[in-house]
Amino acid sequence: MKHLLLKLEPIIWLLFGAGLSVGTMLLTGFVLVVGLAIPMGLVPSDALDYERAHALASNGFGRLVLLGLIALPLWKGAHHVRSLSVDFNGGDRDGAVGVLVYTAAALCSLIAIVAVVRL
Amino acid sequence: MTRAAHPEAMAPPKKGPTRTAPPRMPGSWWGAPRIRTYLLFGATGVVYFLAGTVVLHLVWALGKGPDAWATVMASLSHPLYLVFHALTLISVLFVGIRAFGTMMPKMQPRGGPLPVLAPGLVRGLIYSAWAALTLVFSLILAGKIGS
Amino acid sequence: MAESKKMLRVEISRFDPDRDEVPKTQEYEIPVQDDWKVLDAINYIKDEVDPSISHRWSCRMAVCGSCGMMLNGEPKLTCKTPLSDYDETIKIEPLANFPIVRDLVVDMDGFMDKFRKVKPWIVRAKARAEDMEDLNEKGTFSQSPDQLATFKQFSMCINCLLCYAACPVIANEPEFIGPAAIALGHRYNLDSRDEGQAERNSIFRGEGTVFSCSFANECSEVCPKNVDPAAAVNQAKLAAVVDWAKGLVLPREGA
Repeated sequence: MKHLLLKLEPIIWLLFGAGLSVGTMLLTGFVLVVGLAIPMGLVPSDALDYERAHALASNGFGRLVLLGLIALPLWKGAHHVRSLSVDFNGGDRDGAVGVLVYTAAALCSLIAIVAVVRL
Repeated sequence: MTRAAHPEAMAPPKKGPTRTAPPRMPGSWWGAPRIRTYLLFGATGVVYFLAGTVVLHLVWALGKGPDAWATVMASLSHPLYLVFHALTLISVLFVGIRAFGTMMPKMQPRGGPLPVLAPGLVRGLIYSAWAALTLVFSLILAGKIGS
Repeated sequence: MAESKKMLRVEISRFDPDRDEVPKTQEYEIPVQDDWKVLDAINYIKDEVDPSISHRWSCRMAVCGSCGMMLNGEPKLTCKTPLSDYDETIKIEPLANFPIVRDLVVDMDGFMDKFRKVKPWIVRAKARAEDMEDLNEKGTFSQSPDQLATFKQFSMCINCLLCYAACPVIANEPEFIGPAAIALGHRYNLDSRDEGQAERNSIFRGEGTVFSCSFANECSEVCPKNVDPAAAVNQAKLAAVVDWAKGLVLPREGA
C-alpha cells in the first residue's frame, strides 16, 4: 500500500493543492451565501429556487464549478487528515490511513461526477 | 521534551559502537503556539471533507428535482447546519490567510521563465483574486448578477 | 567595571550509555555574565563545575553548525543565543529527533545518509563529461550573478540540524529525507551548472519523498541562517510534480 501511495503522491498533491487554493476560493462565496445568508434569511430564498439554481448549474461551466466545489475540498481534506494521522499516530506506517481517506475522496469524487452529469 | 519520537527517527544506517538513547520529540507539542496553529490548519481538513460532502448532497438533490431541492434547501436552516457552515467559513478564512498569505508566496518556481516576485506582491495578488472571486460568486448565487 | 553576580539555574540533560537507560536531568547553579551566550554557560560548567559533561561546539560564530541544542524545548544554536533571553532557569537538551550518543551529543549519521541521497554536488550529463577536460583552459563554469541569486539562499545551510530537530514529520516518519537535505538538493537543481535535475527529482519522488512534508514551516522558523528550507522543500515539490507530468507526456532520455 505504501508503494502504491508513493506512486500516486504527485497526483494526490496536485489535487490537494487545487483544493487548498481553488477549493478555498470557491468555498468562501458558496458557504457565505448558500450555507449562511440564505438559511438565515439575509438573502431571499427565491434567489436560489429550483429554476434558477438548475439554470445556473446545468450548463458546462456550472457543472465544472460544482465538481470543483465538491471534489477539491474532499482531496484537500483527505490529504490533511492523513498528515494529521502522521502527526498524532507516530506515522502512517503501512499507509492504511492514506488508502482509507483517498479511497473515500475518490469514491465521493466519482459520485460527484455522476451528480453533475445528471443535472 | 515530553514525548518519544519514532524509535527509528534519524537512525544511522549502521549501528554505532555505543548504545544510544532513543530520540525524543520537540517538547510542548500542543502547547507551542506555532505547532498549535499548524495542527489546527491540518484539522480544517476534516471540515473541508465534510463541506465537500454537503455540496455533493445539495447537487444530488438538485438533480432529483424541485421537491428534493426545496427540502434540502429548507434543511440548511437547521442549527447544526448553520453551526457547521459558520465553522466552514472560519476554516476557509484561516486556510486562505495561511496558504495564500505565507505558504504560496514562498512556492514561486525559481530558475524558470517566470520572474520571482516579492512575497508581499504575490500575497496581495492572490488575496485580491480571492476577494474578487468571492464577491462575484456571492453576487451570482444571491441573484444580484445573472438571472 | 563591576562584575555581574547574576546566578542562573541550568538544567542539563545527561545520558551515560554505560549506566543510563534513558537521559536524566542534572541541575547546576552558576554565576553568569550579561554578555554570555548559552554556549558560554555550558563551557563554564564543563570547565569549572563538572568536567564530565559532553557537548559539541567549535567556531562560536554560527558558522560551523555543531552546537545546536534544545533550549527550553526549542532548537537553537547555543553560540548564537544570548543568555539574557532566559531568566532564572534554562533547560538544555540534546537535539530532538536524533538518537542520543551521550549528554548533549547526538548521532548525526542518519542525516549524513539522507544528505548523500540527494547528490549534493554538481552533476554533469555523461555526454558532456569532456567539458571537464578543457576545464583548465576555460577556467570554471561561468555563472551570472542572476543565476547565482536563484539558489544562493539555499546554499547558506551549515548543516546544524536544527530543522531536523524541529520537523514534526521527521519525528514520525523516519524515511522522510527532511528539510536541510531537500533544500540542498533543490539548491543543486537550481544551479545553472548542474544537469542532475531529472535524477534528483526522481529521488524526491521516491522513498522519503518530498511530498511527506506537511508544510508546518517549523524548519524555517528555527533556521539560524535564514535558508528557509520550507520554501525549498515546497518549490521542490512543485518542480518534482512538473517533472513527473513531463515524464507522462515525453519519453525519458536514456532512462
